[in-house]
Amino acid sequence: MMHCTMEDLGALQAGEASVWARRHITTCAACQAELEGMYQRIAQLKALPALRPPRDRWPAVKSALRAQRSRRRRTWGTWTGSLALAATIAGILLIQPAATGTLNAELSQVKQQSATLEDSLQHYDVDGRVLSGHAAALVAELEDRISILDGTLTQREPSVQDAELVKLWQQRVGLMRELVNARATRARYVGL
Amino acid sequence: MTVSLAVPDVLVARAQAGDEEALEALFRAFETPVYNLVRRMLRRPEDAEDVLQETFLEVVRNIKQYRGEGHLWGWIRRIASTKALMRIRRDQVRATESLDDEPGKPGMHIGSNIDLERAFERLSETSRAVVWLHDVEGYTHEEIAEQMGKSVSFSKSQLARAHARLRRMLDQGAQA
Repeated sequence: MMHCTMEDLGALQAGEASVWARRHITTCAACQAELEGMYQRIAQLKALPALRPPRDRWPAVKSALRAQRSRRRRTWGTWTGSLALAATIAGILLIQPAATGTLNAELSQVKQQSATLEDSLQHYDVDGRVLSGHAAALVAELEDRISILDGTLTQREPSVQDAELVKLWQQRVGLMRELVNARATRARYVGL
Repeated sequence: MTVSLAVPDVLVARAQAGDEEALEALFRAFETPVYNLVRRMLRRPEDAEDVLQETFLEVVRNIKQYRGEGHLWGWIRRIASTKALMRIRRDQVRATESLDDEPGKPGMHIGSNIDLERAFERLSETSRAVVWLHDVEGYTHEEIAEQMGKSVSFSKSQLARAHARLRRMLDQGAQA
């Protein structure tokens, strides 16, 4: 005897079953039991207790939010800023010992790269521009990751400038490049 | 888990104006339902925590775009589920059926005390996501297919296969 498949049972549950399945279920005790089992599993899933986050994530969200707000306010991308930064680099290089100087130079260089990318982004980064679902999701994800990274950087900035800080900024540059590419690709696609 | 969270309009308005206290209040109101949703979909707790954080970053960034059409939870839930599904897609190789119940596979012995929750956790992330979104959250196959970038029949067959696996695991557990 032919019985309902699991897909048939799902269709019965959704009220979309075939005529055959709807007739069969009225006479077949085995399939009625299967359907009842499915209902019970669903009811049990719905009744599972809520899982709670093990850690408070609000501080991280707040930190990223503040960093994002300050990022928007900053004028990183201006040439004036870049020139001032370049002057600072030169000053630092002249007065710092060699090792620290190298680290600071790396840090300044990567910050400048980040600033240049911020500047590039302004050509494409127009809020409200229509993106495809996939592009919007990609951009949102990259922006999230940058925001999280900015939150970390905001917390670390006052501390000693070390190799780890350079690494974080390098990660930021990598994400910024991806973001610029995503925006630029979309701009080419729509002919902007 | 049934969520019936009512959030005062004034709180939403304050959050839309950028009030940090209001944004935190929204976070507190929805952190558990969001975490529960994405934790049920994702295998690793740390991934669920990351998605929780990413979800609220998007919520605080885009809260102005919420027009009050429909429940706020529906809007937030959509962001959370989309982000969880994106993560599943990104980790697709890792998330293949490798941990699904397959008879005779080493490490897949099901103990006699297995319950539905443990059986559910043994499903692949894709199967978990489809089961949870459809059976618990009430998404249609069309909505799931759209969010996953797959066909409606993919969603239906995933659901059917997942139920077949759950049933098999529970039967094996009962017989052991």
